Amino acid sequence: MSHTVLVCDDAIFMRTMISDILTTAGFEVIGEAETGREAVDRYKELKPDLVTMDIVMPDMGGIEAVREICKVDPDAKVLMCSAMGQQALVVEAVQAGAKDFVVKPFQPSRVLEAVQRILG
Amino acid sequence: MDLSRYAALFQTESREHLGACSQLLLDWERDPRATEPVVGIFRAMHTFKGMAAAMGYGNLTELAHRAENLLDVLRSDPGAATHELHDLLFAIVDALEAGVGEAIAGNDAQLDFKGLLADLDNAAVATQPTGSWAISAKGPEPVVGQAGRAVRVTIRPAAQMRGARALIALRKAETLGKVGSVRPAPAAFEQEDFDGRFAFRLDTGESDEAVRQAILAAGDVDAVELGEESAAQPRAGAAPGAGDAAQRTRQIRVDLRRLDALMNQVGELVVAKGRLAELVARDASPELQAVGSRIARVVAEMQTEIIQARMTPVWQVFDRFPRVVRDLSRQLGKRVAFEVEGEEIELDRALLDELGEPLLHLLRNAVDHGIESPADRKKHKKPAEASIRLTASRERTNVAIRVEDDGQGIDRAKVLKKAKAEGVVEGNTTELSDDLLLKILTRPGFTTAATVTDVSGRGMGMDAVVSRVRALGGSVQVESEKGKGTAFILRLPTTLAILRALLARVGDERYAVPLTSVAETMEFNAAQTTAVQGRETLLLRDEVIPTVHLRERLGVGPRRTDGRRPTIILDVGGRRSALVVDALVGQQEIVVESFDGPKGMLPIFSGATILGDGAPVLILDPAALV
Repeated sequence: MSHTVLVCDDAIFMRTMISDILTTAGFEVIGEAETGREAVDRYKELKPDLVTMDIVMPDMGGIEAVREICKVDPDAKVLMCSAMGQQALVVEAVQAGAKDFVVKPFQPSRVLEAVQRILG
Repeated sequence: MDLSRYAALFQTESREHLGACSQLLLDWERDPRATEPVVGIFRAMHTFKGMAAAMGYGNLTELAHRAENLLDVLRSDPGAATHELHDLLFAIVDALEAGVGEAIAGNDAQLDFKGLLADLDNAAVATQPTGSWAISAKGPEPVVGQAGRAVRVTIRPAAQMRGARALIALRKAETLGKVGSVRPAPAAFEQEDFDGRFAFRLDTGESDEAVRQAILAAGDVDAVELGEESAAQPRAGAAPGAGDAAQRTRQIRVDLRRLDALMNQVGELVVAKGRLAELVARDASPELQAVGSRIARVVAEMQTEIIQARMTPVWQVFDRFPRVVRDLSRQLGKRVAFEVEGEEIELDRALLDELGEPLLHLLRNAVDHGIESPADRKKHKKPAEASIRLTASRERTNVAIRVEDDGQGIDRAKVLKKAKAEGVVEGNTTELSDDLLLKILTRPGFTTAATVTDVSGRGMGMDAVVSRVRALGGSVQVESEKGKGTAFILRLPTTLAILRALLARVGDERYAVPLTSVAETMEFNAAQTTAVQGRETLLLRDEVIPTVHLRERLGVGPRRTDGRRPTIILDVGGRRSALVVDALVGQQEIVVESFDGPKGMLPIFSGATILGDGAPVLILDPAALV
């Protein structure tokens, strides 16, 4: 059975790109979210195997969302998607419970490596 | 990714780091038990390794990595390093410096460091302290207890966000047991320039291999090294402070050629400004005059800024000298304490680059020929350790650089005899002044044929030294006392390209005299002159100053002694002469153009310039006229 993924990003472009990368690799994207709050709600509802999380989003940012999600499910597997130069934020996200990160612009191979690491 | 774009940056930065290594090695040698130098070398070597790895230069990376391992061990016990080991590290730094050029030229794969690597292996075995983790990478895992293991992780230098990656690795370790004593503190992980190396203590029942696998699973991990917890490993060098980072963002690197190009453009602008000022002065509306003076002000400010931007502290050139002096004195079996002062004094970058070689000459000569053998020094009751001092200081608008030794000095009697024999000086000369001495020393070929061993070396290239310094608008002076030592003093303008000059006319031509060498101007009156030793001199406030009639000197015509003539009193390092000209035209900023005079040209010019009105003008070399 293929792994299920929730993709969270406020840009359609980024969601499309991540979905494409993951779908091509055989994952099943079962949901998308545009805000941190939506991400938390969708997580509770869908219980995906993996979440990709943008850091900067309106209405609750990605880091806060990770914290909320980990409250619900300490084993949640969240992959942070960061822009270059946001190391401090990524560090904060990892402290909040994110399992790994990728840096934009994405290279599909790097995204998939990170996903493999998270899902073990 | 196209790495060639980074090659130039890699080269400059490598030079800095490897240069720092050399400097620190010298410090270490002087104070073998001090920890700062070895920590600094370790850090510099590590940074270099990271850069070389990022460039994909495998051989450079390997050598740096192995050197770093050795340094890591030595950090906890700097005194364990032997003389041979210092020499080996010097050799490695040299090899890396040479290797950088080769690697950039595309020859990294051909670099062969086998000999040095073998030496490193031997040294590593010899200096291995008990339970050192740094060595573990080389051989079978040391048998260690299961609790309280030291773990050292290196994130791949090329990895993105090494700090965040480090934190993930730490999280992985936490799944196995209790993590403590994280160095550097995790706050450093948030810094963009975190170098990807960190260490911590892990209490776990898992095997080494399990720990290693868990941490490697964090991704982008270059190496995981495990060892027994060793107490108090200083990690001072691991994390640059936040202060450094803040300071660094205030500066950027600029290719020197950009600054040169900018300087040239500003030079053109200065010339155009001069021309504009002339036209505006002739006939211009008040508006045009206002614009003209505004432009003049802005151009002057630009000029100041660009000159400032090009100013470079002399240590950038001086830094390699301690190493040279050390190597040469060791090679010659002499003991020399080398001191450098005034390293922070600034000079135009272009000038500084030109100075390296002449100074090297002077220093080599000082060690080789100035300083006596230890036996001779003992015989003359001098301290066994000789002293060589390199000092930079500001003198009005000039910078003086002094190379001074406490060696045997120059034997004037011998030099005089030799000079007489060769007909360089008149037979009735009884005393050799410093000036005359310099003139003799800098005669091409004079000393190469000499049998006076104590000066033979001084002549080697002395003519080259003097002509180089003169070409830069500077002057050279020598002071020497038999038995006490010798000093060479180079005086240089702080900047090359633009200088203020006094314009003087002789016949139909104008000539420029750098204002830095003008003490004053006056009117020449034949009645004020007296003859001293057959030379016409001018009496100025009880001072006797020899005259130079530029008309005569240039071959324009015979000297004019009738009436009053404008005269420029030149002063170069205390030596003076009175330059008699036809007329003084005024002061002006001139842009010095590089200058290669035709063969047979009078040796009294240091360059040329183009004035605002487009006329080319020769620049007189005051040092050649006093």
